[in-house]
Amino acid sequence: RKEREKKLKVYVAARDACFSKRKDGVFDDEALQLTQQLLSANPDFATLWNYRREILTHLETVKDEDEAQKIYEAELSFLESCLKVNPKSYGSWHHRGWVSARLPRPDWARELRLCDRCLSLDDRNFHCWDYRRMVVKMSSVPVKQELEFTDRLIGSNFSNYSSWHYRSTLLPLLHPGSPEPPPSRLCEEQLLKEYELVQNAFFTDPNDQSAWFYYRWLLGRAEREEMISCAYVSREQERVAVAFSRPVNSGSLLLVLDGQPQRVEWRSVHPHFKHSPVWICDLPPGTISDIANEHNLTVHWTEKHTHRDCALYTGRSESWCRDTATDLELFRSELSVEKTSVLQSELQSVNQLQELEPLNKWCLLTIILLMRALDPLGYEKETLAHFQTLKEVDSMRSAYYSDLCSKFMIENTILKMEYAEVRVFSISDRNLTTLCHLDQLLLVTHINLSSNQLRRLPPQFAMLQCLEVVEADNNSIENLEGVYHLPKLEEVSLKNNKISTLADLQPLASCPKLRRLDLRGNPVTQTANVESELAELLPSVADLLL
Amino acid sequence: MAEEENQFEEFEQIDFLKDRHVRFFQRTLQVLPERYASLETTRLSILFFALSGLDVLDALEVVDSKVMIEWIYSQQVLPTQDKSNLNRGGFRGSAHIGIPYSTKGPGVLHPYDSGHVAMTYTGLCSLLILGDDLSRVNKEAVLAGLKVLQIEDGSFYAVPEGSENDIRFIYCAASICYMLDDWSGMDTQKAIEYIRGSLSYDNAFGQGAGRESHGGWTYCAIASLCLMGRLDEALSPRELNRIRRWCIMRQQSGFHGRPNKPVDTCYSFWVGATLELLDVFQFTHFEKNRSFILSTQDRLVGGFAKWPDSHPDPLHAYLGLCGLSLIGEPDLRKVHPALNITQRAFQHLQQLQQTWRDNAGSCVGRQ
Repeated sequence: RKEREKKLKVYVAARDACFSKRKDGVFDDEALQLTQQLLSANPDFATLWNYRREILTHLETVKDEDEAQKIYEAELSFLESCLKVNPKSYGSWHHRGWVSARLPRPDWARELRLCDRCLSLDDRNFHCWDYRRMVVKMSSVPVKQELEFTDRLIGSNFSNYSSWHYRSTLLPLLHPGSPEPPPSRLCEEQLLKEYELVQNAFFTDPNDQSAWFYYRWLLGRAEREEMISCAYVSREQERVAVAFSRPVNSGSLLLVLDGQPQRVEWRSVHPHFKHSPVWICDLPPGTISDIANEHNLTVHWTEKHTHRDCALYTGRSESWCRDTATDLELFRSELSVEKTSVLQSELQSVNQLQELEPLNKWCLLTIILLMRALDPLGYEKETLAHFQTLKEVDSMRSAYYSDLCSKFMIENTILKMEYAEVRVFSISDRNLTTLCHLDQLLLVTHINLSSNQLRRLPPQFAMLQCLEVVEADNNSIENLEGVYHLPKLEEVSLKNNKISTLADLQPLASCPKLRRLDLRGNPVTQTANVESELAELLPSVADLLL
Repeated sequence: MAEEENQFEEFEQIDFLKDRHVRFFQRTLQVLPERYASLETTRLSILFFALSGLDVLDALEVVDSKVMIEWIYSQQVLPTQDKSNLNRGGFRGSAHIGIPYSTKGPGVLHPYDSGHVAMTYTGLCSLLILGDDLSRVNKEAVLAGLKVLQIEDGSFYAVPEGSENDIRFIYCAASICYMLDDWSGMDTQKAIEYIRGSLSYDNAFGQGAGRESHGGWTYCAIASLCLMGRLDEALSPRELNRIRRWCIMRQQSGFHGRPNKPVDTCYSFWVGATLELLDVFQFTHFEKNRSFILSTQDRLVGGFAKWPDSHPDPLHAYLGLCGLSLIGEPDLRKVHPALNITQRAFQHLQQLQQTWRDNAGSCVGRQ
């Protein structure tokens, strides 16, 4: 105990001496000694490093270059001992960076060797990796050399996530892809080489994530351009609905009707959303209601310098203009625009591995990814089977996989709907746990979600502005937030769900044309006076089934 | 779902030793062993772990709030008479610089005294947890002190003298602005650009551009964007889905912070809270997560360690509790995933902010 007290006294004395010296503007060797003492015990005492930097800067001005070199080299030695004690100290690494940059005659090779030593002890020490990147930059080590460095590291040990990461930053510098559409990350020749390298890695150790994540990145492609994906106009509602490729603010939207800019107020489909992929506006009454008139609409998204035209012809009560999901390769666009032959060959390789390693989740996920890139509808059966296996081999994440599978099934249904050129979206008995891509369903008039595992129709459901009929029997729905201000909705069937209170049905009151509602098999039907309560809540519903 | 019901049944198997953890934090508030000496400069953050930990345990009554509040305020860098040190505002980690004890202004000018952004963040949180009304926080100084820490690329230093700069301090800054309900302390657009620039090839966030993805920095990125209210603006739905995927894959039993690293208790919060903010926490396996966290519980001394059979420390003890709270462990208060304080403390903040708005409103009225 006396030892500790003594230590404390020494510490406090040294610390106070340091501060008073600093306060007095003293920058001498003794100050260096004192700070050294303290920093050896506590390398994260940031103020002391700052003081030390002041001392060194000052000494630089009073010593010649050789002496300064010696002082800084001594500093580097001191830092090495600090780093030996704590290789993850922010203070130490930051200071070393500072010193290296100021050294009159830096020895970058030595710095790289230090990094090598440090990484050989812990190849995931990101402080060291970050420092190495700085050294490389300062000493203009050619990217090619660094790439060879990663070759060596990966060659000796495929399981080196940090090396793969570094590689991902180096490659695009050395072998850039083309910026013109289709945009690609790397030039094709290099890409094929990388595929080979990473395949070696995951064939050697299929359980190591590093290679799989890297592979996914290689296969992936950049975000596509932002655009207006659909513009829809309805004479009856005198309303325009616009769908975008991603959620936006309404700030930069401009509507032009027959050459005249219109002063309209844009609103999102549900008060929850300030940011939404779908926006609606109402036209002044009488503007387009006469069916004998033709009108031309343009929606401008001024921020992105893009627009969409839509012509509303005589005799037509509605009109729209859109790019289909197929046109946009919307769902395939997870992956790059590699030649089909390349993707086929990749799929073949990974399938081979899967035969050897049937329980490997990375393999299964990658196969699913490649199948979706090649032919989502054609591979639907296999994809579902692989998801089943995936949920068994990685049961910890089975809920996530169910969600992912739901997403893919919805994508397939959208594709089928578009091929058939109908406005009916039907996906029943598919174990759907979640709804998504609802922004793609702006034009749908009939939706069938029966016999799934849905728990709610979320606020995003309100994007289905053309909906006339909803069938969602045999789910576990307890929340109808998204059945909100749907102007054309006439029929809703919710047999055998979990709607339990009248409050749950509140959103339906916002749908003016609702006339038929089937609530059989829901707990709410047991509520006292349910018929009269509903008559009050939903007066337009003439056909109520309880 | 039937799966969840089974998970709740198995909760009873490993017991959670609440009292031990209360005592662990109490001891943390008293004396720490020598090996903690290096944390002296960040003492206020240790205090935060203990206080927030006790809050999560619903055991704040063991704390002498008044004493604590005074100590915290004594770490505030008070403006001098002529306000020349305004841009050094904020809270210190501790008294290690040697400024004479004072909780009321004017302050003493000291060339090396300044706030530290992480200490300001944990200081404000701690005051809220203790029920303080922040009336003695000099907002002008705190925000001025914060503003000078932001650099061209949008990231922040920790102290005005300079230090490393990265995404951690953006999170601290965003939390400070959020709590004080005043975003003049930072350029949010620049911060968002830095955050976006930190998105790595594998769809998670590094400390900065070109740096390796990490669960802790991903939390800082997502939580900052949520606090700023700009999550959907800054990241596309596709990017968000990919980030969700990277994060979901971090669960091994508990969570790790990076691929191929061992699981560590604190990531049950860092990654767990990120998943919660991204609305997909319900897809994680609660029972495996719980089993891991409890395997790092120290049955003798209380607290949690990063790994089983390791020494517990305040950070892991606190974040272990937060991890358990996220999965709904009974008897633990719920935690606000972005601000990292209990919902109870958050509600106190909301009430304070409402009062500030009302007062501001009534001032305008009088004009």
